[in-house]
Amino acid sequence: MAQKASSKYDPTFAKEVFEKVDSGEEIKKCMQCGVCAASCPLADKMEFSPRKIFTMIRAGERQKVLASKDIMLCTSCYTCIVRCPRKVPVMEVMHGLAHHALRSGFVPRKESSKFGKAFWDCIYKTGRVDEGVAARNYYLADGLVAGAKRGLEMKDIALNMLKHKRMNIMSAIPGIQGKKIKNIATLQKMLDKAEAMGKGGSK
Amino acid sequence: MTKYFLYSGCSLETSASNYLISVESVFKALGVELREIEDWNCCGASISYIGANHLSQVVLNARNLALAEAQGGYDIVAPCSSCYIVMNQVNRELGEDPALMQKVNSILAEGNLTYKGSVKVRHVLDVLYNDVGVETIKSRVKKPLKGVKVGGYVGCQTVRPYGEYDSVERPVVMDRLIEALGAESVNFSHKIKCCGSGIFLTELDYGYELAGNILESATSKGAKVMTTACPLCQLNLEAYQERVNKALKKSYNVPVTFITQLMAVAFGLDPSKDACLDRNIIPVEKALKTAA
Ligand code: SF4
Ligand code: SF4
Repeated sequence: MAQKASSKYDPTFAKEVFEKVDSGEEIKKCMQCGVCAASCPLADKMEFSPRKIFTMIRAGERQKVLASKDIMLCTSCYTCIVRCPRKVPVMEVMHGLAHHALRSGFVPRKESSKFGKAFWDCIYKTGRVDEGVAARNYYLADGLVAGAKRGLEMKDIALNMLKHKRMNIMSAIPGIQGKKIKNIATLQKMLDKAEAMGKGGSK
Repeated sequence: MTKYFLYSGCSLETSASNYLISVESVFKALGVELREIEDWNCCGASISYIGANHLSQVVLNARNLALAEAQGGYDIVAPCSSCYIVMNQVNRELGEDPALMQKVNSILAEGNLTYKGSVKVRHVLDVLYNDVGVETIKSRVKKPLKGVKVGGYVGCQTVRPYGEYDSVERPVVMDRLIEALGAESVNFSHKIKCCGSGIFLTELDYGYELAGNILESATSKGAKVMTTACPLCQLNLEAYQERVNKALKKSYNVPVTFITQLMAVAFGLDPSKDACLDRNIIPVEKALKTAA
């Protein structure tokens, strides 16, 4: 028993969060009042509220925190940021934790990470997001068959959007890329540099 | 003539084309000139943290700010609430943290760019309310939306996080604009509750629930039309309404417009060419018939 408990407990985890997670050091200010948890629109879908996540970090529960689906359930509504009496940017910490988890080999929410990656991929490759391309690449992330199936499930929405001139059919075709911004090469250089210079960037 | 940079962002080019076109027609009718930031890039929205660290997101936005500064330095007006909040937040961070500004400028140097911090980022509601003003808007109304009960759904990011132009907890700007058009604004409890934002796509069930609560809250208070100032809010409430109905066993059938579409109609502009009403999935013409 004792051994099992100690293998889960990682006393260096809080330090890791302070040093490598964007906004991670901000949790030092948390006084555990629970306002963030009470305000979060998806609190009732979470196993661990933001407040609990912060205690678990201090308690060294690395595995539990980084694998937790809850760190990727944030809708970015800013309610916690607006309301936290200690001005902890809770949302930023949740985003930072999600990024750190993915970078460390955890996949807390498969669908959200697939979509987020498809979205970022568009930005990195072209400088813009073509919604059709991002959606297509998200659906195709598990291969063509699974993608076609998922795509069909969304047929009603897509057809409606198409009919009302709010979707570009061309970008749904595999292989087609969105239009690039003029200076995409320098943008990529900037983003690479930022990735290396940012917190935890050098790993 | 007042000039602004219109940062249309990515969704206004396709899924919210009715927003973009109505913004352009309304500003033109109000005598405001909008320009494009040449070679602008995506702001990353609220989801880019999945693919990139915070500094990358800052740089992404700093590039646009630097371009805007070099191309005239006008205020940037963002119709999309996500673009607005992300760009505004980065702009603030850069202004408050000289070390960060220096670091970012060392990266922007890759493209011979530099940012001094002189540009302002504004939401479209802010510009309409504070720069153009309610009186000017009223004086432009040719077909008042008399008797139309509008639920002004503000959403969350639209007024956050600093409360620069409206209260973050009890916003009023949207209601004042609705009233300026001659319509009646409906008060409802879920005015600033989150619609599910981008998580809608990957967590459909949760999205239906959040959107359903908002639709219920507004329609139960008598809203016959809803209006928003954010492409994702509009999409989640309108394009998914049929699915919300199925999932929650409801029968909502309420048109969801962009505030600028209502303005275009009230200004007497062309309902399809300028207001783009025909691009809405749930037909809105009937609900606005007093103005027709
Ligand atoms: S609202 Fe702020 S201080 Fe209170 S529990 Fe949440 S993060 Fe901690
Ligand atoms: S920003 Fe995220 S963590 Fe904060 S209240 Fe909204 S959904 Fe919850």
